[in-house]
Amino acid sequence: MIFKLALRNIFRNRSRTAITLLAIGSGCVAIQLAGGFIEDTIHQASENFIRERIGHIRIYRKGFLEKGLLHPFDYLIEDPLPLMTQIKSIAHVRYLAPRLAFSGLLSSGDTTTACLAEGIDPAVETELKAATHMEAGTFLDGQDVHILVGKGLAKAMAASVGDAVVLVTNTRRGALNASDAVIQGTFGTLDKAFDDQAIRLPLSMAQKLLRTGGVQTILVFLDQTGRTDEVTQAIGELIQNQHLDYDVKPWYSLEEADYVVKAIRFYQRIFFVLKGIIFIVVMLSVVNTMNMAVLERIGEIGTLMALGTTRQQVMRLFVLEGLFLGLLGGFAGCLVGVILACIITKIGIPMPEAPGSTATWVAHIAIVPGLLATAFMSAMIMALVSSVFPAMKAAQLETAEALRHNL
Amino acid sequence: MIKIKNLSKIYPLGALGVSALKNINLTVATSQFVAIAGASGSGKSTLLNVIGSVEQPTTGIVQIDEKDISRLSNDDVAHLRARRIGFVFQTFNLLPTLTAYENVEFPMHLIHTPAAERHDRVLSLLNQVGLERFSHHKPSQLSGGQRQRVAIARALANSPSVILADEPTANVDRTTGIEIIQLLKALNQKMGVTLLLATHDPSIMQQAGRVVELLDGQIVKDSQ
Repeated sequence: MIFKLALRNIFRNRSRTAITLLAIGSGCVAIQLAGGFIEDTIHQASENFIRERIGHIRIYRKGFLEKGLLHPFDYLIEDPLPLMTQIKSIAHVRYLAPRLAFSGLLSSGDTTTACLAEGIDPAVETELKAATHMEAGTFLDGQDVHILVGKGLAKAMAASVGDAVVLVTNTRRGALNASDAVIQGTFGTLDKAFDDQAIRLPLSMAQKLLRTGGVQTILVFLDQTGRTDEVTQAIGELIQNQHLDYDVKPWYSLEEADYVVKAIRFYQRIFFVLKGIIFIVVMLSVVNTMNMAVLERIGEIGTLMALGTTRQQVMRLFVLEGLFLGLLGGFAGCLVGVILACIITKIGIPMPEAPGSTATWVAHIAIVPGLLATAFMSAMIMALVSSVFPAMKAAQLETAEALRHNL
Repeated sequence: MIKIKNLSKIYPLGALGVSALKNINLTVATSQFVAIAGASGSGKSTLLNVIGSVEQPTTGIVQIDEKDISRLSNDDVAHLRARRIGFVFQTFNLLPTLTAYENVEFPMHLIHTPAAERHDRVLSLLNQVGLERFSHHKPSQLSGGQRQRVAIARALANSPSVILADEPTANVDRTTGIEIIQLLKALNQKMGVTLLLATHDPSIMQQAGRVVELLDGQIVKDSQ
């Protein structure tokens, strides 16, 4: 009966209930939109970074991560194929991409600039090809003379697509070696510092230049980023069972990912603070409504207690009213939030360049089930917490005093 | 049976307080219809409130069926009100969001009466107060007299020992007031429930089996 009474009471003053539901619903929508925007930003940043730079999982020869910076060629994976074949059969692995990085000099005749070169296999690097934003020209076609140059580097050298350049580096054993190359395209990433010094060339060309058949790392690309830990563990077990001399690292534990991981934490903390502010604003509104409901119904509370309703039951009545408001507001808020998220996503939010980046991008509002649940639960908690104090106040009223309000 | 011994009630106000009831001694037999008479401010409502355990006495004892109710815990008081005491208020005090049927049913929920028993009893009570046809009406759809009849049916919901009616005809017209008093009297005789009714209307006092008159918080006349 208390349940029925609570349910009917919330529709007693419809305009006030509507305003309260609007406050709860708006809080719910705000949590969804802010959270969905941040989720999308994090998702786009990390997915882009994974696809165009780092891969989901990396495999190195043991010791490379500790000493590879000083001695990059002492820790090469000499024959990656058998290991790659085995890893390929693990569930959720899309493909594997061996890479070989080195530093060198890129000369266009008049200008010679230091560069960081990365040898990739254009035939398998489908994610990289899709994610790379080509400023001019086309992606690598596999020919051993064609290279890609970061747009900052190209600008510094005043080089453009079709220009002939010379790439100079030390071989694995220390001898000087050079290779003629033609700029096939210029590319931009979200990382300006990278674009200012990076070149990409076919793996076979890099191996010839360095006079090695090995690679420094094997990148593992998955069908879903969420499977990273699971597959990292599976590869780790495979390596351990076969007593192989390799390290396996998920993307977020790599030094290269430090900036992205920190940015994700930063955004998540911003969202946490934002949620707190939304919580307080909505709670103040619901507390106000519940207080008004108690003040207006003092006489009725007296009647309830005179009839034999206990103080706990009176408290339960008002808490239940808060709970119903939370349920309705949460449901309506989630529904409106999803509709708004769809509309905004369809239109897109044009975003300026991120810090350290030269590329603009379009943000969306991600619809994440976990976030929907958070928004709904937040609405419930906000309404419940807000109703506790007024409910306590109602339960502490003196029956005789409360009854006098009926006169 | 109601027994009141040396009852006084002082409301704290200033240094001395206001004495609403002074040394009241009263015994009311089961099934008696007692009119508590007196002018406004004589202490009628306070006496009913103390008997109904809505207010605690400053001194003295109130017993209902041999049980001292003047110093009970909050939960015991609620339990007592739900089972032993029925209130009929001057302003009807029906719960506005519930129908007539649900208002009568409400006290039965508080003592966990089984659903089938509840249903039969609510219909029987509404029938006795002549409102069976209006069972699904909300209080706002009923006249003052009809509301008070629903309140009487509600007061009888859990077969209480005593009904405390505080000026139940004050907000209805004279004809309806007479009907209300006749209904209360009939139920008092039929069900054997003790009826204490506060009033300052001499025509209502004539209907009661006993009249206890209060003046400035003291019993100045008892017709028994």
